[in-house]
Amino acid sequence: MTLVRDTVAAFIQEEGHKVDVSVIDESDGVAELLFRTRGQVFSVTTHERNPDFYTLATAYEIPDLARENSNNTETLAIVQGEYPEVHFTMAHDGGLFIAAAQEQPGSPEAFTRAFWDVVNRVRDAGNTAIERIVDRTESKAAADKFINSLTMGER
Amino acid sequence: MNPDDVGDYMLPLEEALDDEGLLFTRDDDDDALRIAFKSEGDRYFIISYRDDPSFVMLGSGWALPAEIDVDDAIDVANEFNVRKKFVKTAVWEDQRDVLFTVELCVSSAGEVRPHVGRLLDVLRETAAEFFDDLGEGDDED
Repeated sequence: MTLVRDTVAAFIQEEGHKVDVSVIDESDGVAELLFRTRGQVFSVTTHERNPDFYTLATAYEIPDLARENSNNTETLAIVQGEYPEVHFTMAHDGGLFIAAAQEQPGSPEAFTRAFWDVVNRVRDAGNTAIERIVDRTESKAAADKFINSLTMGER
Repeated sequence: MNPDDVGDYMLPLEEALDDEGLLFTRDDDDDALRIAFKSEGDRYFIISYRDDPSFVMLGSGWALPAEIDVDDAIDVANEFNVRKKFVKTAVWEDQRDVLFTVELCVSSAGEVRPHVGRLLDVLRETAAEFFDDLGEGDDED
């Protein structure tokens, strides 16, 4: 019987991408498949004991200028509301966040049929989150500059 | 650039595809050097000719679906050729194919290497927009 991870890995390779397969937990049959597309590394978690369940995730680095922004978690929550199938998790002391989608398509074959749609949804959500975080940072910087100019007064 | 002097001058492009995490195959003959690869399931190629190694072309070819009118496709292609950076869109009427290509004049294929990701993005986005535009045209009819 073909392993779930082998089915998914073969699909990704057939689509043109190198795949790195790591078995995370042999007894539970959990594996992580890493591949790269459009300059971004994605991971797919597969479960041999539950071939109906997959997680597809990728990490986004928060730009330096936005890392100290206290609103980033709130911004992620707002964007997550617009992409309910994608979950964001802040990591590395606010230096990056993970965008992940958990899928229950019914079978490995069904998962591969929807594969690029899932990648696109995660990518759209992650890119939107980065744009909003940077936007809010720039807006805040502009507001701070304006407030500072008012409080300084005339010399 | 003389290919006899520089050996396999397509190697930097293979390395760029490798950096992008893409698998590829080579299909060279007496006339041309060719790399074929897929990204997210779509097929692409890179070609250079032995008698003109300064010329490098990246591209992707698509069949026009039966429901798309060739004249509409040519109109969209012409509009893209006016507006789009890098990409040339050509409709092959008899074969009902459309070809999206980026043609470059380089002193070394290595010059292209840092830009391969961007060029693949524009090829991908142009093809997607081409078929989106034609789909929207059908809806409006």
